Amino acid sequence: MSVEVSRRKFLQGSVALSVAGASAISATNLFSSEHASKHQSANGRIPSTITTKTSTKEAENVPFLCGICVNKCAGFARVEDGIITKLNPNPYFPKSRNMLCPRGNAGIQTLYDPDRLKYPMIRIGERGDGKYKRVTWDEAYEAILNGTNKFKGIKQILDEEKDNRATIGYCNGEGLSKEGFEVLVGEKIGSPNYVDEISICLETTLGGYVNTLGTYGEADLNNADYLIIAGANRAEAIITPDTMDMFKRSKGRGLKTIVLDPRFTNTSAKADRWYAVNPGTDLAFVLSLTYVVLKEELYDKDFVAEHGIGFDEYKNTILSSKYTPEWAAEITNIPAKEIYKTAREFMQARSPIYYQGRRSVFSKNDFQLRRAMATFQALSGNLDKKGGLVYGEKLALPKEDINAPIYGQAQPRFDKEGIAIPSQKTGSWIVFRNMVLEGKAPYKVRSMFMRKHNPLAGVPNTKKTVQFLKMMDLNVMIDILPSDTTMYADVVLPEASYLERTSPVSSYGATEPAIVQRKASIAPLYETKTPEVIYKELAEKLSKPLWEITKKYDEDVQDDTEGMSPKEILAYYKENGFDLTDPWEKPVEEQNKEKVVSMYGEKAWKILEERGVYYPHIEEYHKQLNPNESEYYPDNKKKYTTQNDKLKVHFTLPNLAKKGVDAVPTWHDDYKFSVPEGQFRLVTGRHAQFTQSGTTNNAMLRDLIPTNYIWINQRVADKRGIKFGDKVEVKSNIGKVEILAYPTEKIAPNQIFMLHGFGGSSEKMEMAYGMGANDALLIEDKIEPVYGAAVMHETNVEIRKV
Amino acid sequence: MARYGMALDYKNCINCKACEVACKEENGVELGAEKHRIWVGGNNPEGQWPLLDIASAAFLPSQCQHCDDAPCEEVCPTHATYYDENGVVRVNADKCILCSYCMNACPYDARYVDDRTMTVDKCTFCSDTRLARGETTTACQNTCPTKVRTFGDLDDPESEISELLRTREHFSLKSHLGTNPKLFYLT
Repeated sequence: MSVEVSRRKFLQGSVALSVAGASAISATNLFSSEHASKHQSANGRIPSTITTKTSTKEAENVPFLCGICVNKCAGFARVEDGIITKLNPNPYFPKSRNMLCPRGNAGIQTLYDPDRLKYPMIRIGERGDGKYKRVTWDEAYEAILNGTNKFKGIKQILDEEKDNRATIGYCNGEGLSKEGFEVLVGEKIGSPNYVDEISICLETTLGGYVNTLGTYGEADLNNADYLIIAGANRAEAIITPDTMDMFKRSKGRGLKTIVLDPRFTNTSAKADRWYAVNPGTDLAFVLSLTYVVLKEELYDKDFVAEHGIGFDEYKNTILSSKYTPEWAAEITNIPAKEIYKTAREFMQARSPIYYQGRRSVFSKNDFQLRRAMATFQALSGNLDKKGGLVYGEKLALPKEDINAPIYGQAQPRFDKEGIAIPSQKTGSWIVFRNMVLEGKAPYKVRSMFMRKHNPLAGVPNTKKTVQFLKMMDLNVMIDILPSDTTMYADVVLPEASYLERTSPVSSYGATEPAIVQRKASIAPLYETKTPEVIYKELAEKLSKPLWEITKKYDEDVQDDTEGMSPKEILAYYKENGFDLTDPWEKPVEEQNKEKVVSMYGEKAWKILEERGVYYPHIEEYHKQLNPNESEYYPDNKKKYTTQNDKLKVHFTLPNLAKKGVDAVPTWHDDYKFSVPEGQFRLVTGRHAQFTQSGTTNNAMLRDLIPTNYIWINQRVADKRGIKFGDKVEVKSNIGKVEILAYPTEKIAPNQIFMLHGFGGSSEKMEMAYGMGANDALLIEDKIEPVYGAAVMHETNVEIRKV
Repeated sequence: MARYGMALDYKNCINCKACEVACKEENGVELGAEKHRIWVGGNNPEGQWPLLDIASAAFLPSQCQHCDDAPCEEVCPTHATYYDENGVVRVNADKCILCSYCMNACPYDARYVDDRTMTVDKCTFCSDTRLARGETTTACQNTCPTKVRTFGDLDDPESEISELLRTREHFSLKSHLGTNPKLFYLT
């Protein structure tokens, strides 16, 4: 064993810890309009120190669902005297399997972050300068409705736009209360112009799999025996339950693991083989695997005959295209003999999985890559069965009917330029923003309603996003922290953090489905409110005034209501959904109870309240196996096989061909990876100790990973005289940043890597501000042609030591 | 009385640092990069891109080894370092004069100075928090995503850890020093 375990040596060699040491938290926070010292409590509801030693006193344990990333792991919050002192994992939830990751453990610091948005505020300075004044909630709602001398209100805007609700754009990041925001702004207020994280995240992955297999599915890693994982880094980008299942069986312990990644990651460190694939060339790799399997007839013929659609065309296309390993070797940087070996091993394995991956679109061929991966998986026949890609099931919850009004004057969405399959619902962030900026939108977009979303960090080309927000007449932000984007809001509404709110009950579908509930561990701090209360109050404020505008401009409504008495008009307003408040008549707690009791009875509700998790027979099925692990369902009750005859694999998609999309995944020469001499391809990614830009201000996580670095090949760095910790300028066609260097052999000579989410520009997030660099300032705003999703890994940069 | 130890299925470790954060939150450990009771040792892979030696890259979680024959306990002039009734090596902050002999004596480099109390601090197996409440796991074991850690009573033949040590090959760090650590690395 040659691993270095000494603390001192470890500290000397550690990237994360070498530059910024102990965190010096600034004593003042101007944004809160009053002196708010770090962890000092005015009302005894905030701990006096950052970390709190748990005591032996009585404590409440409140079930919660983590909200620090998208996973929603279950936990119990230990509450002592009204203060949350510890978050512990919840053993009852089959998805998160009794664990909390570092971020989950650090969730307390989100709640007690001294930089939190504490009060409603309205802008008194210029956009971006951070000058706001504290107001009451009603004053904030009033400003959204009627504006101030600094910005227009929504009433004025809609009046000027003759009730065209599409003049309001809106966005929301992932989370349990997102649906409510979509109901408020999308269905009730009536805007079609919604953009969210999908088009800067996993849209092509979902699309590729759903179009091919009918579902994105779940990888049954507990029972698989062979894994190819590419475009995913599960040791660092943690997904539950995949991360937990995967690494318990790697390293020669049952799950043979082949990792493709341009860099050597913590996932690569767990691999049996690591292939340093050229960025954007995975498609060539999968096509050549497929070629070998078809050529050598290694595929599961019975399965393909039974479930395949369009297989012959697919087979002919792949074979006639001569996607040989020799061909792919040159493109991918993976030797041909390794490709042969991998293809044959995959098909010989009992339960092989080509891991689906997730997050962003790496290159413009991403949709076809995911299609190719899905069809390759299907060739093994390892679908809809134990150890394969499984479809799972979901426990039903009643869906509420939304009485959505029809606005005659609202125009349809327009973000379709250059896209084969424009999204009806979630749009394309880049196309939407750019068309507005370039004056190509068919009508004016004049307002952005935003919640829990930070496009300045997430959407490529930050400068354009800033320009876009500056064009608006009204920007509203509901959030927990004063993010970069919040600084461009005119009205800021402070939201309760996930530990301070009961969220809409949720159903998690998989092989072991469950219903989960997040309960408020403590009451909201400061003057923050839960999202649903904000939606309700905002709806109350806007409802009647906006109805007056509709009556003024909407001829259909005028025809309908002609001759009606005021009382009849009021009834019409309510019956036709123009009363915006009705979805929030009942508080979340009450709605949750009704839903669960109506489907599963009182006892289920009691279990859910106590454990945070419910599924039928939980009391009988759930067994603690050892101090670490539980059994959730007996093996014969797990939903491994749910499709049977319904299972279809679309090897070709002829309907897509009509839209100019290759019916069979096809390689085009312009997909080839090349970087001009002296430049570098920028690749980005995530890490286990933070979630994008939302956690960089978290005292505990920042302590672990205070900044991002630029990974640069050691030999290249040596040649350029760049040493660890040196400041370098990284410059692309659209912007430049300064960042500290991390020379390493874990990356190719013509590539660089930086973690996403750092380099915050908001001075109000005092711990995150000035730490590292924001990759969105560098990444060019290119889209892939199927959904218009942002392409993240096709930007070349120059670097120089400064 | 128990004799507590910990078995680490270290090949599961992905160096996510959940254990470190859980430890800090549970025990009110001072923030600051060097102020951690547990950490993960690691090696970068040897070789030049793309020919890197995967086997040379490994993660090894570590912390106070709670040695049965602890050098820190031997050298402490004020008897601030002591064995509690469960065999856990503890520091009595009231007695610690910060002479730092124990820090020098520890072959595992497992101790640091808490700047708030100006005393030496280290892993306590959650003795004064979780164990004192009657719980049977440490914060680090409880939270670990890949379930590296198993904590328990080495004197209880029925305990999970005893079972693991009976059935799995394992090693201790620097065993040639004769400190008899109670952290066991499963192979």
